[in-house]
Amino acid sequence: MPYHEFEVSKVIPERKQHAVMKGAGEDLTSCLPLGYLNTIPGSISERGCAYCGAKHVIGTPMKDVIHISHGPVGCTYDTWQTKRYISDNDNFQLKYTFATDVKEKHIVFGAEKLLKQNIVEAFKAFPDTKRMTIYQTCATALIGDDIDAIAQEVMEEMPGTDIFVCNSPGFAGPSQSGGHHKINIAWINQKVGTLEPEITSDYVINYVGEYNIQGDQEVMTDYFKRMGIQVLSTFTGNGSYDDLRGMHRAHLNVLECARSAEYICDELRERYGIPRLDIDGFGFKPLADSLRKIGLFFGIEERAEAIIQEEIARWQPELDWYKERLRGKKVCLWPGGSKLWHWAHAIQEEMGVKVVSVYTKFGHQGDMEKGVSRCGEGALAIDDPNELEGLEALDMLKPDVIFTGKRPGEMAKKVNVPYLNAHAYHNGPYKGFEGWVRFARDIYNAIHSPIHKLSLIDISKDEIDAGKGFQTRRMISDEGLPEEIRKSTELREYTGKYDSVSALREKTYPEFPRAEAGTEAVAE
Amino acid sequence: MANHKIKNMAERKYQKVYTSNPVADADPLTKERIAVLEHYIMKNCLWQFNSRGWDRRKQNAGILGKTAQLLCGEPVDVSVPLEKCYWVDAVMLERAYRKLCPWLADLSKDDIKALMQLLNARMDWLTIDGSLNQELTVVNY
Repeated sequence: MPYHEFEVSKVIPERKQHAVMKGAGEDLTSCLPLGYLNTIPGSISERGCAYCGAKHVIGTPMKDVIHISHGPVGCTYDTWQTKRYISDNDNFQLKYTFATDVKEKHIVFGAEKLLKQNIVEAFKAFPDTKRMTIYQTCATALIGDDIDAIAQEVMEEMPGTDIFVCNSPGFAGPSQSGGHHKINIAWINQKVGTLEPEITSDYVINYVGEYNIQGDQEVMTDYFKRMGIQVLSTFTGNGSYDDLRGMHRAHLNVLECARSAEYICDELRERYGIPRLDIDGFGFKPLADSLRKIGLFFGIEERAEAIIQEEIARWQPELDWYKERLRGKKVCLWPGGSKLWHWAHAIQEEMGVKVVSVYTKFGHQGDMEKGVSRCGEGALAIDDPNELEGLEALDMLKPDVIFTGKRPGEMAKKVNVPYLNAHAYHNGPYKGFEGWVRFARDIYNAIHSPIHKLSLIDISKDEIDAGKGFQTRRMISDEGLPEEIRKSTELREYTGKYDSVSALREKTYPEFPRAEAGTEAVAE
Repeated sequence: MANHKIKNMAERKYQKVYTSNPVADADPLTKERIAVLEHYIMKNCLWQFNSRGWDRRKQNAGILGKTAQLLCGEPVDVSVPLEKCYWVDAVMLERAYRKLCPWLADLSKDDIKALMQLLNARMDWLTIDGSLNQELTVVNY
């Protein structure tokens, strides 16, 4: 096994099995780190908790819901939508967060009365919002508050309201991934099948594991609507609570982030016979293949093909402009979970960069199987890294840019490595054909920014060369490029708008006649 | 709503099929061809990585079996949605293989089937029986 031992972690020998360096001829039977285990004492993890995984990642992107934490206010603050899960209803779920604000006296005497009071107050404060999710925290789990019973009481006393309870306290798993799992299973057990949805198309999907980061869901839904497909629900970004109660009526589950949402897809397949189709919304080829697959399933591949041709004609020259300027750049792909495999192969093929390392904070071995497979030889794969290991890896690999979260990102900036936010994006959305170009533009801007050279100058002692004080990204990126590339009239920089999402909300779509009213095309 | 009762527990407590790499003793040309076919799947596909071993076995057999049928020009069962979903991934793979491996056109149907069966075995070894993933045998989703 090609384990990699970090110098800084020699005092924590168990860490050695959590990092591998893929060598020549290695495959998954010989090269895979451990994963999804409790963080080893002595290692300062970058992970979140199971409560955060349930609420922040999966529950709260639902848009038409009062999301309430039953616990101390700090738990709520730290899961209050800093991930840019936008929505098309004026971002209700971003603007408001709710907490029962449990104090010491509630821990001693119980917090059920406090919870009920908060639920009622919240519904009265927002009379148009009749749906609520409640999240248990460590404190209220330990004192044994019966949240389900209180929710039931309120639903009986306030007709028309509906409440979902998620019992996923922070300690319920090694990382936030434990919370992803719990809320998936809780949702299908409690809510799926409790509402019959209106079916308006012969082609009906649930779009699962998609969180509308900076508009990803809206971009993808645009493609689906152009194909005449009804997106019955999105689990959960920009998704509606009641739509998600009707998931059992879809013909196909289209799964994007398998890390956070494969459980509900697998259960929907098991319980309702709805197939699971894994797709990639990132990258021209993976996205095109994904649209083709959905088209094939419904027998409407020509609609997918028309979109693919139109989008590629529009955006390929812009992607290639960046590719020419990113060739050979070294990338550390250090996201939370699924993006390490969504991006690993596509950015190498379509942007010309080289992935020198992948890591995951909360991924499982299954994520590393995908990531290690999609990387080339020599890539360093790390599970649940600590900050010192991250710094050592940066020093060893000398990447040109890293894609990661805010905390390790700030650490990277201090050692002069540009960072892009892999979780919430910089100038997303990154999904879709245009989104992939926006990602390339962000990478280009990060790597070739003149600030990195300027930041190395110590004005207290370094000589300042006044004749070379001005540089632009273009001057840096085009140095050494062949003239035919520099002066190409076919390639061009990104020409899209600052906001590529809002206009989609006003768009009208073609109406495709149904094969026969009330029938389902898939049921052959 | 009550929790779902698992119907296929015996299937979930599966036994390993392969104890070593099934391609190890193949001739050099076959090894080379299997490597090309495998490489495409591992770089471009996701269906081989369902989280549980029993699912992976079904995925590998369903998709690679249908891919073999398509490459041989045989009819494929798409009568129920689950089979149709396998077929979708099989069509994508068949198209890629025809483009990537022009030598497939020179093989007989029997040779194609034998090659695809060996690829299926290799994928089972790589993703299930020889895999280091400790979560494959977990019986719940």
